[in-house]
Amino acid sequence: MAARTSSRLPLPLIWSAGVLAAVLLVAGCTSGRSNGGGQATTPTSGAAAPAAPDLQVELVTMAKVPPGGLSAARAARRAAPGLERFLDRYLRAAYINAAGGEAGWDGLLGLFDTPVRAAARKQLDALSLGGAAPTVTAVRPSRATAKAVVLYGAKRPEAATVRVSFDGTADTAQGSGPVHLRSVLQLLATGDSWRIAAFDSRTGSDR
Amino acid sequence: MSRRTGRRPLAWVVALALVAALAAGLVAAGSPPEGPAAARAASAGQAVTIQRAHAGSATPALKGRLVLLTIGSDSGAPKFGRGGSMESGRADALQLVIIDAARRRGAVLSFPRDSYVPIPGHGTNKINAAMAFGGPRLLVATFERLTGLTIDYYALTSFDGLTDIVNKVGGVQVNVDMNLRDHFAGAFLDKGRQTLRGGQALAYARARKTLPGGDFDRSRHQGQLLLGGLGTYQRQVAKDPTRVMAWLAVLRDEVKTDLPFPELLRLALLATRVPPGDIRNIPVPGAAGSAGGASVVRLQPGAYSLFARLRAGKLS
Repeated sequence: MAARTSSRLPLPLIWSAGVLAAVLLVAGCTSGRSNGGGQATTPTSGAAAPAAPDLQVELVTMAKVPPGGLSAARAARRAAPGLERFLDRYLRAAYINAAGGEAGWDGLLGLFDTPVRAAARKQLDALSLGGAAPTVTAVRPSRATAKAVVLYGAKRPEAATVRVSFDGTADTAQGSGPVHLRSVLQLLATGDSWRIAAFDSRTGSDR
Repeated sequence: MSRRTGRRPLAWVVALALVAALAAGLVAAGSPPEGPAAARAASAGQAVTIQRAHAGSATPALKGRLVLLTIGSDSGAPKFGRGGSMESGRADALQLVIIDAARRRGAVLSFPRDSYVPIPGHGTNKINAAMAFGGPRLLVATFERLTGLTIDYYALTSFDGLTDIVNKVGGVQVNVDMNLRDHFAGAFLDKGRQTLRGGQALAYARARKTLPGGDFDRSRHQGQLLLGGLGTYQRQVAKDPTRVMAWLAVLRDEVKTDLPFPELLRLALLATRVPPGDIRNIPVPGAAGSAGGASVVRLQPGAYSLFARLRAGKLS
């Protein structure tokens, strides 16, 4: 059995958010978030602070449940927040926090299951900014989407296959350019989080 | 020999300086003006290649060798009219699946169910009786004693389980190796590669009486089904990676195993990269015989030398 659910806000909340956004717009304030436009200006020494990268993963989740367990729809709803948090961590470690190359890759590699970690270390270019990270000063996300099929056990998720798509713009001293990630991640649930047990991933300027 | 004056080098120096100054001016004229406006223009107008295209993939790098006993029980199949529990039935399909995870190769040893072997605490009997005597644990102990191999895990299903597995995954492609007209098992299949539905797969796994090799042909067909399932799984996952979850869901619902879930997932992911051609289907050598008036299979010396090679780390 399978059911689909989206982790997006329910319709009434979306309407409320729309009204609020309109009010703020009229008041001369904006708070973009869907396209990474969450910008803050800090008037220190007359220089504009870098834009705060705003990442939101739009996740659609389906679940496969055992007979007699939760309904598929309910299981998908339960699994979605944890998956969304995990994907957020992944994309931040792979792109946003990787810019500058100072953070290293331990944070990203820690998201991989031990038997696949060494392979991930060798293939960072296919999983993240990789070797380009030191030249990149910032990554501005424009769109992050994911579709997940979760294998739900008696009480909690056990595994998932997630198709992740990420597009953003990376800034360097020479200018800016697009970055893309298209991945299939096979995930193993570990208590309250996930680990990547296998991957098939592409990155680069070419989609 | 002409005398060089000091003016010529000086003229060259002046000329070079002029050229350099001119070049510097041209460069300066061509470069963007400094300041915030210039920086904005640079960032807005210049699209640079940040990262070349890269592709990569990996499945779990598991160490060592894994030995799994797959068991088809003749009980616990209400849809097939077989009552009782799977664990207390007789084991009619018996395969030892040996995976060399590092080399991504393996072997499927198919045992005739009538193999006449010592069963710990129960004398000598047909190997399929071990599970009825003491459940999967005694069956595992019997295999360990027989082969000298350590069996890591078992996986047990029933007639209903096999039928449902095959139907739920959409059929299993098998290269049927003979024309079959077996009324006893309900197997009516022509030779050749084809996709079997659940009932056909079960019939192919059970057909024995009309087969020239009897129990030996049957156990070989069971191994073919396992490998056919692996090939079908790989093709499906290659087209749609979410099929890994679909197969795991089916196995979870239809198979009883002591394999912990994380290991099952890692194996399922590893299995996407193990070519079925690199897994040998090996019927364990035996010869028809009798014991106490019952027909049995007596394992031949070749079987024991096969076990010895396996213990030494070989796969055939």
